[in-house]
Amino acid sequence: MDRRKSSKETTSSKALTMVPSPPISASEAFIVNTLCALVLFFAFWIANTLYSIDLVTDPSLTLFFIWITELPTVTLLFSRYRQNRQRCTYLRAVGRGVLGVPVGALLNLLGAIALGAPVTSQYLPKTVNWALMMSLFTTVPASCVLGSSWTDWRRIFAQTKPNGSIEYLLCLPAHGAVIGAWFGAWPMPLDWERPWQEWPISVSYGAIAGYLVALIASLGFVLACGRPQHIKRE
Amino acid sequence: MKQPETTSLVAAKGGKWGYTWPLWTALLLHLLAVLLFTTGFLLTRTELPHRSHCSDVSHSPCLSTNNGSCWTKPAANRLILIVLDALRLQVLKNVASERPLSARIFKAVADPPTTSLQRLKGLTTGGLPTFVDVGNSFGAPAIVEDNFVNQVDNGCIDHLLPSLYEEDWDVLIAHFLGVDHAGHIFGVDSTPMIEKLEQYNTILEGVIEILENHSGPGKPHENTLLVVMGDHGQTLNGDHGGGSAEEVETAIFAMSFKKPLSAVPPEFDSCFCQLDLLDFAVTVSAMLGIPFPYGSIGHINPELYALGADSWNLDASQKLSESDIWMQNYANALCINSWQVKRYVDAYSASSAVGFSDDDLSRIASAYAQAENHWSHFTKKLLLDIQNDSDTLVPALKRQIDAYFKFLTTVSELARSKWTEFDLKMMGTGIGILLISLVFQFFTILRANKQYGETLSSSGDSWVITSSSFTFFLLGIRACSFLSNSYILEEGKIANFLLSTFGIVTLRQSVIKGELLIESIGFLILSTFCRFAIEVGLSKQAATSAFMKEYTSWIVNIASGLPVWDYAAEVVPMIVLILLIAWLYKVTNGGRFGCPWKHVIMGTILSYMLIIMHWITESNRFGVPLMPEHIGRNYIPRIVYAIGLGQLLLLGFGQLFKKNCLDYKENLVAKTTAVVSAWSSTVILLSGKQGPMVAFASLVGGALPLSAHMLFEEFVLVRQAILLAIDTFGFSIILPVFGLPFLIATKYQANLGKQFLFTQLSQVWGLFAPKFVFDVFNLILTDFLICLASIYYFDQRNQGKDDPEQKPSASLSLKPFSCGASHVSRAYFMRSLMRLKPYSSEASHASEAFFV
Repeated sequence: MDRRKSSKETTSSKALTMVPSPPISASEAFIVNTLCALVLFFAFWIANTLYSIDLVTDPSLTLFFIWITELPTVTLLFSRYRQNRQRCTYLRAVGRGVLGVPVGALLNLLGAIALGAPVTSQYLPKTVNWALMMSLFTTVPASCVLGSSWTDWRRIFAQTKPNGSIEYLLCLPAHGAVIGAWFGAWPMPLDWERPWQEWPISVSYGAIAGYLVALIASLGFVLACGRPQHIKRE
Repeated sequence: MKQPETTSLVAAKGGKWGYTWPLWTALLLHLLAVLLFTTGFLLTRTELPHRSHCSDVSHSPCLSTNNGSCWTKPAANRLILIVLDALRLQVLKNVASERPLSARIFKAVADPPTTSLQRLKGLTTGGLPTFVDVGNSFGAPAIVEDNFVNQVDNGCIDHLLPSLYEEDWDVLIAHFLGVDHAGHIFGVDSTPMIEKLEQYNTILEGVIEILENHSGPGKPHENTLLVVMGDHGQTLNGDHGGGSAEEVETAIFAMSFKKPLSAVPPEFDSCFCQLDLLDFAVTVSAMLGIPFPYGSIGHINPELYALGADSWNLDASQKLSESDIWMQNYANALCINSWQVKRYVDAYSASSAVGFSDDDLSRIASAYAQAENHWSHFTKKLLLDIQNDSDTLVPALKRQIDAYFKFLTTVSELARSKWTEFDLKMMGTGIGILLISLVFQFFTILRANKQYGETLSSSGDSWVITSSSFTFFLLGIRACSFLSNSYILEEGKIANFLLSTFGIVTLRQSVIKGELLIESIGFLILSTFCRFAIEVGLSKQAATSAFMKEYTSWIVNIASGLPVWDYAAEVVPMIVLILLIAWLYKVTNGGRFGCPWKHVIMGTILSYMLIIMHWITESNRFGVPLMPEHIGRNYIPRIVYAIGLGQLLLLGFGQLFKKNCLDYKENLVAKTTAVVSAWSSTVILLSGKQGPMVAFASLVGGALPLSAHMLFEEFVLVRQAILLAIDTFGFSIILPVFGLPFLIATKYQANLGKQFLFTQLSQVWGLFAPKFVFDVFNLILTDFLICLASIYYFDQRNQGKDDPEQKPSASLSLKPFSCGASHVSRAYFMRSLMRLKPYSSEASHASEAFFV
């Protein structure tokens, strides 16, 4: 018990010593989240109207559209709220966000394979595109904001103790996407023989749904805890 | 942090029974619940010893034939019955299209369960088989009920054609199993299947040619009837047993070699022939003119019966047309048929405890009385009076036939519902007891937790709550997933999914605490390995089937191309085993182990080495034979088993003459390692080369709580939650399986029609019943092992004065071991089943069973 308490104290004291990321106002958070969601819909719209495909008919291309449109949005938006502004320029934050894409994709890929994603060559492009999309939902915003600070990563993603409004924007959508994807896998073994039961379609739908829900939820959290910070900022 | 109060509290509970009695109670409760549930779930039908005899027919009100025949006028002298196991409907069409009148194809509908023995039994007795008979499939006893074949001997395919020229038989039955096996192994669309079917086509064409050549007047096959049939169908991937349309539908091809009869009344001769396999026995008996099987509840199928119509033209002195004579005969046959069914129903309900209800009996009786009344007051007189012409006769006959049909369908429907419905009361009681035992176990664990949770810091509470709620959530999902048969079919994948989820969450927690990181990563990697092993094992079986091709993973594609992978497949297990040896050696050198345990572990190392030798001699890849082959094949396994037995004995004796020594914790670890290692060699040998992988996985999985147990006091509470979860895990598998048929039965009985209920029930049979049997077996075995192990471990504590709080934890820590063992054993079972299939199929490919 003592140990736990002390460890908590040390982490919080560490957080105090570090230069925290600038707090984000509710309106800014609303804009960021809305843009993320809009770009997501935009990607679907491109796929639908220009290429007349969707997630079911051509999953890998659609997923590609999603992550390729989300990539600039997420990196450019979240790099504005980077930690340690003095030492880290905007461009560097964007750069480490881009670097976070393959790393996060690799993590997601390994997780998916451990959970049973097919590794056949015909599924490879789909899986890779899916992992890239998941990476943009989960790790890329965090790598823009947090950089390589292991304690922060651990605090947000392992202990789920976001500290400050911007960290809600990192923590909740990432968890939402992963949990949504996890639930999205459940219809897959059913014998309904629908085309969307294929890997990674239902999982992608689940991830996107979870992501969107978590975006809204994170807005709520920012509103709830952001008031005093908003005043502080003024 | 030891507290004297708890010590005295525990001591007051009185020795080892204070700790083991909940386990024994759980075992008893489970046994009781399973017994009750099983009696309701696995339906049985009493078999009557009676037989039908020729003379019986004089008791019936029907017209008896006096020209030497037995019950009915024989329509065929000889019968050739060729049973193709698992024949799907599409196969026989072209043969029939060449001979439109004398041959016809029936779509035959079987009753589930669609396993061969049930079907053969159903075919010959004309009754309904029940699920319990499935077990007999493996032992294949002779069918003891009265049937129309006296089962004799096996032969082989070569005997069929020569037998056709001989004169000394009346019924010739050939049973070909190849289609079934080809379907099982390769799927329906595979090349071996097509080859097999083509081979059968050639054989059939040969048979038909011979028969046609000898079918002229006076020749041996003048009155021969050829019937080619399947006993059940197959699903697309070659399985059967359930009640889906593909499985229950098969084909019957019937052909007589006489001048075809052109004029069967059209209402009995629909173009689309459908034959319930229930009716097959009685129809064939009627055509051969022999007594109908005593226990048959089918009715004579008009279309098949019409094939033999030709032979009655001898007494054509009347002025009736052919079709009228046929109808006359048919009505009389139906009369005998109804009388026989009524006799069976009466005898059955008189002799069996679980017969029909009075309501049903009165319904049957009234339907019979109605038909019977019409017969004796009306039709019989008409038939006896030869002067009637067809105008008065035909409508009366039609009404008569309708009345008999009505009676016979009533009976068969009732019988179906009776013999395929579950006993809901019994099942409900069983489930209730099971729930009680679940609650009981839950409270036991809570109690144990409280007894020893006091000694630990209160900060663990939130941990217990979060982790136990998570594990319960996972369990709930696993339990619910058994409500769907697709989840059961994909059980391996689902289990792996949940296992990996658990691994990921553990990893997350170890990241939080910064401990045991390597172990949890290893766990995750091993579960991934497990997943690939299962996948490869699956796809290797079905690589040739078009159905499975899409699932073939790239590993197999490579494996078939490169010998390196084959090498790897053989070498990797050995390396893992060597790693295990090294690990064990390191552990024994740690010096914590007392005398008997050390010897036991040394024995395990020895048997591991022997197993490696065994594998080397088994695989032909390593060229150099180390020793004469038969020694490697035969003696090494025996030596390993002997060592395992010796180890167990040693452990038992060590228990008897134990020294009161050592620290309790270390003692526990030593004991556990010794026991696990004593069992492991046998298990590894039995389970083949995937064994060491899984053993390694379970060791690492076991190392997680074990090392935590030794190193981190804090971690214990999390472990408790996990234990609780794993404990219920075993349950949660059984419970929905128990609950499911109950749910289905109650839900659909109220709302929907009988037909739907029936298909649901057969699905239950096809999928859930085997699972139920194995799970129940697992549960009881697990319980029993837990009890045994608890005796073993608690023996120690009578005199020990060591930490009291370790004792409940010891008992609980056994559960994951044995539960995990049961889980692994299920995986083993499935895998070994898969591995067995090719062998059995090779054997059966070679030998086509053949009865004469």
